Amino acid sequence: MKADRKVITALNAVLKSQLTGINQYFLHARMFANWGFEGLNESHYKTSIKLMKESDKLIERILFLEGLPNLQSLGKLQIGENVPEALKGDLGYELGSQHKAIEQAIEVTAGLHDFASEEMLRGLLQSCEDNIDGLETRLSLIETMGLQNYLQTQVEDDD
Amino acid sequence: MYVCNCAGVTKRDIDEAVDRGARSLRDLRRELNVAADCCQCACDVKRCLRERQSMAQEVDLSTLGLAGAQ
Repeated sequence: MKADRKVITALNAVLKSQLTGINQYFLHARMFANWGFEGLNESHYKTSIKLMKESDKLIERILFLEGLPNLQSLGKLQIGENVPEALKGDLGYELGSQHKAIEQAIEVTAGLHDFASEEMLRGLLQSCEDNIDGLETRLSLIETMGLQNYLQTQVEDDD
Repeated sequence: MYVCNCAGVTKRDIDEAVDRGARSLRDLRRELNVAADCCQCACDVKRCLRERQSMAQEVDLSTLGLAGAQ
């Protein structure tokens, strides 16, 4: 089913943002693991995998609409040198790149009456806002309980 | 924060290079290998360079002010 060129462009912009997120969350996950913060490693790894599965759906949708999914283009990763920087980088990605790209794509697809793409994008937006919630909560915990106390909660029990 | 992910260069690395005399993106590329691979960091590197240079100028000006007061 052939779609308007603008729909393909908008979906590819979201795909670019998703692929950027996959890499950023994955790298941060393994950096956390390297530093001994298994809790953060697990949560970030899961987020990266979720983004991969969502990207798969996007790729299939773009192909169905007779476009070419762009897996070449990748945004700049915001990688931190420590846990708070990494979490701020992730929040920067979600608010600055992901949320914007999805919002714009929803506008385009709704405007061009591609309601199936719009519905899929609304799901991605919900997922993005769940991630924002998680990150804001973690940063708030760091502020209220102190960084050292927070990091202690992310270290695996050595039983 | 990492500014160039391809070369693993942080903001601190760039600041220190500017303090040592790097004056342009070309100087920083030569010294740190930033903006030499995917080049997506070029804008960020330039911004860090400008910020550090203007900070250095402010420090110089305030030193002049203190010297005048004596």
